[in-house]
This record gives sequence, C-alpha cells and structure tokens, in this order.
Amino acid sequence: MNVALKTFSHEGEKGSWTVFPGLCKGCGLCVEKCPKDCLKWSDQLGVYGTPTIQPDMDQCIACGICANVCPDCAITVEKNK
Amino acid sequence: MSTLPQMPKSWRLESKPHKFCPGCGHGLVLKALGEAIDELGIQDKVAFGCDIGCSLLAWDFFNVDTVQTHHGRTTPVMTGVKRANPDVICIAYMGDGGGYAIGSQHLVNAAARNEKITAILVNNCNYAMTGGQMAPTTLPGMKTETTPYGRDVEQSGYPTQGPEMVAAITRDGAYVARGTIANLKQLKSYLKKALENQLAGNGFSFVEALASCPTNWRTNAKDTWAFVEQEMPKYFKVGELKNPAEKGDE
Repeated sequence: MNVALKTFSHEGEKGSWTVFPGLCKGCGLCVEKCPKDCLKWSDQLGVYGTPTIQPDMDQCIACGICANVCPDCAITVEKNK
Repeated sequence: MSTLPQMPKSWRLESKPHKFCPGCGHGLVLKALGEAIDELGIQDKVAFGCDIGCSLLAWDFFNVDTVQTHHGRTTPVMTGVKRANPDVICIAYMGDGGGYAIGSQHLVNAAARNEKITAILVNNCNYAMTGGQMAPTTLPGMKTETTPYGRDVEQSGYPTQGPEMVAAITRDGAYVARGTIANLKQLKSYLKKALENQLAGNGFSFVEALASCPTNWRTNAKDTWAFVEQEMPKYFKVGELKNPAEKGDE
C-alpha cells in the first residue's frame, strides 16, 4: 500500500474534519466551494508538494461539501450527533 | 490512523492518489460512478473499459476487471464482452477526443445498433493528455494550444453535441443524458440510471459528463468552477434526453 494514511484532524463544535495529506493534491476546488469560506491553505504539504488545506473550526458547519467535491477523497467530515 | 478515507468501496485504495491532475474532473466522475456501482452492488459483475487519452489513467482505478483499448475502440471491445457474456455489466469509459473524434464511428454504430452497454464520455473541451489542443467539443471562441485566438466557427465548425446525436440515432430503450461535475448528485443519478438501463437489458446507455481541466485551461480553482458552471452549460445543455423509464418518451 503506497498511500500514507497520515491524517490531520481538527475538532470543532459541529463535527470533526480530517485531511489526508497523502491524497491531497492542492487543487483548491474545496476552498472555492466552502459555503462558510472557512478553508485556508495550510503549512502542511500534500502528495505533490503543494499546500494542503485546513479549516477554521470556529466557522465550520461540517456540511461535507468539501469532502463531496474532492476528486481525490482526501477530506473526511463527520458530523457530531 | 483510525480514520480511513471516505472512498467508494469499488475504488482501489492501493492505486490512490490516482494519476489525474489536481482538480481534474475525471476524479469526480469516477467517484460518482464508484458510488453508483456500490449502491447497485454490481462490483463483481462489472467490466470496465477505458480509452486512450486522459481516461486511460483509470486503468487501475477500480477493483473491477479493466481493459484499456485504443482510440475510441473501448465501445466495440465492451460490445464484444457483452455479446460473449451477457451477464457482465460493461462500462465503456472515454474522453471527448476518443469518443467524438477518433472513435466517433464506434460510438455512432454502437448507438445505432442499440448495443446493451453503458458508455460514459467525459467532456473537458480539449485533448488534455497531448497538451490541450482543440477537440470537437472546444467551445466557440475558446483558446487552446491550436486555437490561440479562440475557436473560429467559420473555419472549424461548431462543437459536437454528442448526447443530442446519440439520442437522435438510437431506438426505444436507450438512455441518454448529460451531467456535470458541478452537480454531482444529479450526475450520480444519471450514471445509476444508465447502469440500471443496462441491467434491465433495454438498450444503449450514454452519459456525457461535463468536466474540468485546470491544467490545460490554465485556470485556478475559482475560474475552473466558473467555466464548468457558467460557460459550458451555455452550449452543452444539462439534462436527460432520453429515458425509457419515463412515459411519453418517443
């Protein structure tokens, strides 16, 4: 398995948000689609040496749109029940 | 380490990250297709054929039997597989160059014969693998490598409208639709209906998906979404053109 399943998780009030740097190519499609505009470029590098993303968990509503539009399935969002 | 990526089950985790460019629409179309395969539970019955061009990078994408063929020949290869073993669910996956230019003969004839296969065509308005030359689907006035001043419709004609063409030449029982990566839920429902149409043995199923190509459009994420959501649907109308399940069609 060549996928490095390293994760960066962020916990928030509405849910938990995880990015897999081994899958993220830094295309930025999720940044544009975020309805709360709370995704920003991160210092962590992705698989192509491009920046990955990190959310502002104070604003994140865990809607999961970023995970839906990610062509690489690099984002996992879990809503708090 | 406890969390796993939320991938469709039919995706092959060992081959990820996949080989498509950052922001490529193929990933989203294949995600929708993977989810449709999962929901129908047909992973063990699918034969997946990919074409030349960017779509060939899907050769190790799924945990299904895959064959890679040349220049639009994925449609006749899948036709052959279907005729030899009608229980196999055959998916012919191609790009707009393979489907509308070099391999259009195969698409047209398979549609005219109403072969019981599912063809999925990803339209990104250029020949992406060779560096972004003008394709049959390049929009009027769109700049590519070979049309640096924009596509001149006097010289090179208007873009091919594939689903309209396929809808015109197919008989009853065919399913024809055009989806877009800007509306993934709708695209997934179209792909699912196309696979269900093949499972029911009605006839040819064809879905065109409008997709992005940030590398060759030379766009950032914002302009990529703007082009997919605003420019492409102006010429390529999204929707179902032919659905045998709906009454009153034909």
